[in-house]
Amino acid sequence: MDISLIFAQFMSGLSRGMMLFLIASGLSLIFGVMNILNFAHATLWLAGAYFCYTFWSLMQDYGFGMWVSIFLAALSLAAIGWVIEVVLIRRVYNRDLSEQLLLTYGLILVIGDLIKLTWGVEDKFIARPPLVASPVFLFGVPFDSYFIFVILIGFAVAFGLWYFLKKTRYGHIVRAAVFSREMVSALGIPIPRIYTGVFVLGIFIAGLAGAVQAPVGSITLGMDMAVIVQAFCVVVIGGFGSLLGTFVGSMIVGEVYAFSILLWPQGALVLIFIVTAFILIVRPWGLFGTPMRA
Amino acid sequence: MKKYWWLGLVFIGAVILPLVIGEFWVHVAVEILIMGLFAVSFNMIFGYMGQLSFGHAAFYGVGAYATGILLVKASVPLPICLVASMIAAGICALIFGYFCVRLTGIYFAILTLAFGQLMYYIIFQWYSFTGGDDGLQGIVPPDFLFGATNYYYFTLGIVTAALIAMWYISRSPFGYTMRAIRDNADRTKFVGINVRKYMLINFVVAAMFAGLAGGLLGPFNRSIAPDLCNWHQSGIPVFMTVIGGPLGFLGPMIGSVIYTFLMAFVTGFTEYWPMVIGLIIILVVLFIPGGVLGLVEAKAEIFRSKHMASGAEESGHTESP
Repeated sequence: MDISLIFAQFMSGLSRGMMLFLIASGLSLIFGVMNILNFAHATLWLAGAYFCYTFWSLMQDYGFGMWVSIFLAALSLAAIGWVIEVVLIRRVYNRDLSEQLLLTYGLILVIGDLIKLTWGVEDKFIARPPLVASPVFLFGVPFDSYFIFVILIGFAVAFGLWYFLKKTRYGHIVRAAVFSREMVSALGIPIPRIYTGVFVLGIFIAGLAGAVQAPVGSITLGMDMAVIVQAFCVVVIGGFGSLLGTFVGSMIVGEVYAFSILLWPQGALVLIFIVTAFILIVRPWGLFGTPMRA
Repeated sequence: MKKYWWLGLVFIGAVILPLVIGEFWVHVAVEILIMGLFAVSFNMIFGYMGQLSFGHAAFYGVGAYATGILLVKASVPLPICLVASMIAAGICALIFGYFCVRLTGIYFAILTLAFGQLMYYIIFQWYSFTGGDDGLQGIVPPDFLFGATNYYYFTLGIVTAALIAMWYISRSPFGYTMRAIRDNADRTKFVGINVRKYMLINFVVAAMFAGLAGGLLGPFNRSIAPDLCNWHQSGIPVFMTVIGGPLGFLGPMIGSVIYTFLMAFVTGFTEYWPMVIGLIIILVVLFIPGGVLGLVEAKAEIFRSKHMASGAEESGHTESP
């Protein structure tokens, strides 16, 4: 195995990891703050991809169409996330784990079918603008130039979330709410509004991730089913609610996948679940998480 | 024992059923029984042990594949296949459960989910043994079980026996130990009970019954596919249990009747069954948290207290299981 092949696999793992990070960061944020595991996260991600397709097909005569569509799709998903939070999620804050999981499981079925009703069963494709259409050569290895954009977006979201949580007043409130809801609300800060904001932000990132995914290949029904469990793996490996953990977890899953494809193709996905199970057994709160309050 | 006379009536009703309904509904009834057994076995972990497993379909799938592979590749008699299904699912559960019982709550749910997916991808990728994503076709039951009605009686017998066995387990000292662990694991530990060992035994027993349910499915459907193991499938018993009510022994079975009957009915005129069931799931979670059994019992409670208030006699009413 020569060095350029390893480099190519590394880059492929990096871009795959970035994709996973974009999905898992919202999942982890919502779980860390609200203690709600959103099964429907990847289904909303898929909806983001379809929204991007629709906006793009309306604007496909313009060169900037795809870039604008990605942004519009993320905004549309934020709006949908707001509706879901206010109408449904808010009612189950204090309910059993099983009921919260079932509610979001029900959402998967409903949203999945709504997507099928709206966009039909055929695969959808987005033609990329010339800037990201052809491969670039890095150290003599061809690399899809669109993935450079994906990696940049991944870093931008990671930095943006870090800045928001560590440097802004609202970020501080959100982090305080993770540790003590009671104390935060005693200070006169409305917890439901914080929760709604966090949920909308999480779904906005999911929509952005879906829209960014859309031009990579075809957009297919059912794509969300495999992605959601991988996103769970990422969050588990990194630790619930830890941004750094989610980032590292995404890279681990992305690279493990990329390199095992090379060495043991059938076992790639199996390996990811073995790693996840191992981490859960020896360190249930993940690499960077803290043991949770009961 | 006297207060369960109505269960005898239900059983007699189940025996007469194929004589009065068409063949299509006999098929639906078989499915109700199989899924009901699957859901009741899930509830041994959820209702009696207090842990949410989101990977129970793994054992259902392993059971289905054990029977399927033995029937197709070795022509082993069906009853032996079913025993093999239980053993195979039990062994899997012993390995997975050894780790799972170390965790509780959300971690338990995610670890079972991860193990379930692990099983799914193993079956999905192992073409030479399981047929991969093509599934396994031509799983033919023995001649005397060929018709829908015959298979129905066969399934009814096995499922009834399995339910009685699980009922006795839930009423045994072991069953009450599980309830104690569910209600307060720390105190149970202080009493001197090895909590992890008991949880592991319960996990394995529940998985064996799920394996039995899976084993019954293959010869009925004539084919199986790896999707049986997917996490999507694990959500179904969770829903059946929540809709039927996790605190009654037969709650999941009632959930299976509702779910499977609805599915047969709705898929008759629309392909958007997932949307219908998804909406029902959401509405049930939001508005009837105790499930149907819980609802019936609450109504009965109101009825009874009104009865008392009006000064009437009546003392023979007892709780249903």
